Amino acid sequence: MRRSQQLAGSLALACALALATTACAPGGSTTSDPAASSTAAPVSKDVAAAGDVTLTVWDQNTDGGIDDAQAKLNAAFEAKYPNVKITRVSRSFADLKTTLKLALTSKTPPDVVQANQGYPDMGSFVSGGLLRPEDDYAKLYGWDGYYPKQLLDLNRFTPDGKDWQSGNLYGVSQTGEIVGVYYNRKVLSDLGIAAPKTIGEFEASLPKIKASGLLPIAYGDVEKSPGIHIYGITQAAVAGSQAVEDLVTAKSGAWTDAPSVTAAQKIQGWAQQGYLTQGANGISRDDALADFDAGKAAYHIDGTWQLATVSKGLGADAGFLALGPDGSSTPVTTGGEGLAWAITTGSKHPDVAAAYIDFITNAEAAQVLVDTGNLPAVPPADWAPKSGTLEGDVAEQWKAVGASSGLVPYLDYATPTFYDTMSAGVQQLTAGKLTPEEFTAQLQKDYGSFVSSR
Amino acid sequence: MATQVTGPQAGGPQGRLGRARAGRTSGRSRQGGRPQYKAYLYIAPAFVLFAVFLGVPALQTAQYSLYRWNGLGASTWVGLQNYADLVRDATLRSSFGHAAVLVLFYSAVPVLLALVLTALISRGAGLPGMSVFRTLLFLPQVVASVVVATTWVAIYSPDGLSNQLLRLVGLGSLTRAWLGDFGTALPAVGLIGTWLGTGLCLVLFLSGVANIAPELLEAARMDGAGAVAEFTSIVLPALRGQIAVALTLTVVAALKTFDLVYITTRGGPGTSTTLPAFEAYNRAFNTGQVGSAASVAVVLTALILVVTALIQRIQPDEVA
Amino acid sequence: MSAGSLRRRPAEVTLTYLVLAVFSLVAVVPLVGVLLSAVTPAGDPQGGFRLPSRVELGNFAEAWSRGHFSSYLRSSLLVTVSVVVLTALLATLAGYAFARMQFPGRNALFLLLLAGLLLPAEAFVIPLYYNLRTAGLTDTYAALILPQTAQSLAFGIFWMRNQFRTFPGEIMEAARLDGASDWRLLWRIVVPPSVPAMTTMCLLVAMWTWNEFLLPLIMVSGENLRTAPLGLAFFQGQHVTEYSLLAAAGSIVAFPIVLLYLLLQRRFISGMLNGVGSR
Repeated sequence: MRRSQQLAGSLALACALALATTACAPGGSTTSDPAASSTAAPVSKDVAAAGDVTLTVWDQNTDGGIDDAQAKLNAAFEAKYPNVKITRVSRSFADLKTTLKLALTSKTPPDVVQANQGYPDMGSFVSGGLLRPEDDYAKLYGWDGYYPKQLLDLNRFTPDGKDWQSGNLYGVSQTGEIVGVYYNRKVLSDLGIAAPKTIGEFEASLPKIKASGLLPIAYGDVEKSPGIHIYGITQAAVAGSQAVEDLVTAKSGAWTDAPSVTAAQKIQGWAQQGYLTQGANGISRDDALADFDAGKAAYHIDGTWQLATVSKGLGADAGFLALGPDGSSTPVTTGGEGLAWAITTGSKHPDVAAAYIDFITNAEAAQVLVDTGNLPAVPPADWAPKSGTLEGDVAEQWKAVGASSGLVPYLDYATPTFYDTMSAGVQQLTAGKLTPEEFTAQLQKDYGSFVSSR
Repeated sequence: MATQVTGPQAGGPQGRLGRARAGRTSGRSRQGGRPQYKAYLYIAPAFVLFAVFLGVPALQTAQYSLYRWNGLGASTWVGLQNYADLVRDATLRSSFGHAAVLVLFYSAVPVLLALVLTALISRGAGLPGMSVFRTLLFLPQVVASVVVATTWVAIYSPDGLSNQLLRLVGLGSLTRAWLGDFGTALPAVGLIGTWLGTGLCLVLFLSGVANIAPELLEAARMDGAGAVAEFTSIVLPALRGQIAVALTLTVVAALKTFDLVYITTRGGPGTSTTLPAFEAYNRAFNTGQVGSAASVAVVLTALILVVTALIQRIQPDEVA
Repeated sequence: MSAGSLRRRPAEVTLTYLVLAVFSLVAVVPLVGVLLSAVTPAGDPQGGFRLPSRVELGNFAEAWSRGHFSSYLRSSLLVTVSVVVLTALLATLAGYAFARMQFPGRNALFLLLLAGLLLPAEAFVIPLYYNLRTAGLTDTYAALILPQTAQSLAFGIFWMRNQFRTFPGEIMEAARLDGASDWRLLWRIVVPPSVPAMTTMCLLVAMWTWNEFLLPLIMVSGENLRTAPLGLAFFQGQHVTEYSLLAAAGSIVAFPIVLLYLLLQRRFISGMLNGVGSR
């Protein structure tokens, strides 16, 4: 009797509490007003005047060459401005994805971060008022004139985070990026195969390589992101740049259109015929790369951020190519630029942050990048590596895609959940769990619900 | 001085002891009749902490599940829509299915295996050297889950222990990257749970068996009871309490699994190892679907509470 | 009970030892593999269970410096000690009240506590994060210490209540008649003999706090507050296939608790098994 009375009493208490908490909805007033984040204070280049400053920088530059470059540039900046100390937090791409959002909304966010372009990351950061527009610094440091328009636009968003590639500038990028095919010159020349330029030539070479007993494509997808790359370059070479561009920026098209399905068919075919590493879903990208470096495979699909690692591993035998559509002479492939260097609205030293960003992306920095085996977004004017070398290949391809606008954005930019949807989907595709039609239908479902909700 | 008088040698019922005894029964009215409000002071610090950091947020999770929110801007009320979506979403449904599979590996297999083993060796309980075995068997439970996960990633790697053993026994054709294969990833994660749980259950059941009065077993043996009968009629009932503990610990561990999946597979390959706890985390903090994440958390919690309540029914009644 | 009263056949004894040995081996082999891997030089084949070509202790040094594990361990230590001390204090107070005092709502509140014991972290961590963010407390030690104390309190109060309930009432009555206040009664009379039980509780809370992964993952983004398991997770993300380096780092992270366990095994085991069982 007493017991049930007590129970009833506590139940009533719980209900009252519950009602009280439901009165206020989550979110809303806690975030800063996006409009207020536009700066009113005048900007300055004077770093020394800022006094003792600790700049917290979050970057994703963990791959060999760019890691070296970043360390060198940081040291040089600290040497130039002894009053500034840089605290560097370097994280892998997947780890940065999961921790950056939390870091940006914390009480003491970092000053400078590398933010991934597109709707999922930069778009949501901008709509949450977490990034500071950099147009004023762009004028101050002349970034407007230094970078090609296409590269700057990739880092633009309207202040509400709804429209990509227009509006305010939220960052500039250090490196250019192309996703392409690293190939083993010696293997191809031994087999009498010319370096393929189109998707058709590429596919024709695969059975020849397999017949000789070698693995055609060293592919490891346990981290899930390589799947987006292999599909991206195949789709780009089949559909052409305009179609993919329209699709990713949500202007027109559907993922179930014929070119996208064809690309999925090709990839599944490669897996079924043993052209890809066996059990790729359990192999890490680094392991696949190691196999390629050891001469066990002819091709490895990866980005120019691996330039230094491949060069170290395979040396003079390494080459790089970007595929184009059949019948075309210019490449069409996934790429763009490295993650954008952005300043957070919570930073107390935006001037120092901007000076740092300029320091690590300007012409001198570009030379450091080249020296450590990277592709800068704006290569130095006198950069003319020898043709027939890996570096030469990369330089030639960068020029070629720039001239023909042959770069399409990374596919995971398309929707906030596209990274998960596509990376999981490609794993299922290569394992034969989905038909190409089912795969593209899965993509379209995610995409469709995002587009209709905008 | 006074204590001497209250010792057992104290005088008759009118002595201090008697009054103390009487005091105890009427002390109940002192302790039980008149409530001691200062008790609230004793429990206040703990309960304030508990309420602020656990209780209220738990209620808020239910509240969040009724909204759509990306964690950054404003939220919109959607009622039970998140729950409806949960039922409709194949990925989320399968995550609960995967949790059920893990319960099998984490809980059913270890408990059954440990019972069988206990049956085999129950007559040998109390042998010298037991504590060494106990220490070793229990060791996996003490190691941080992140370390366990990185250890097993190495074991399941193409050149890892698992494939080494297969090659050793001539089954080299079966080798593969276990965590990357759609068919084997979930069982592979499950096996880690089996490894974690078997030692625990064995230790539990052996300690339970050691508490059975040897006379009972002797009597049964003298009556001609075979090993099976002895096990089912004496040992098993005696272990009811331990079985309940084992099931509770392992089932809850299976349903709560997050750390292991985060390190080993991140829900992959594809979505073949995704779990409710991982989905809740991923949706809340990565893809900006906080309301959906909260609904998954609510369903998971309800599941855990229900299952735990069901398991408690196995408990013998005297353990209250 | 006298083991001698139960006659055992030698075959039974052999079988018993065999079974126990096999399963103990299964339990221990992966962990031994970690140690072997940790001292394997980077040039050796990685990932499997094999004897290294030579003992390479440099992996530990590299994990320590490159992986910033000195900072992570310091952070873990601070958080763990704080949670243990706070839990011990508050659980003793509350457990005493539940065990020995009568007050309205006692049963209801205790039921609430039991529910808290069963709640997975996911049940409250999402709003907890956003609440702390609003209060500006994320990325502080408070965000790590206070929630984990709350979690540990459910178990701690339950444990101490059990302990105090079984405390012989005569001693307490005697002291009370001497005029001891409740406070003195608790700390001078009841607590000292309960220290072994409290030690067990502290060990378990220490283990759970040290090994905790989800809460620090969400609450802390700054490098300097990161706890050891978190550090290992990110370290693994950066060095996915460098198994010997990861094994060295893992050994560093697991070592403190494993050491405590080996020194005090009986407490750990009895604590874990009795804590949940005796409802």
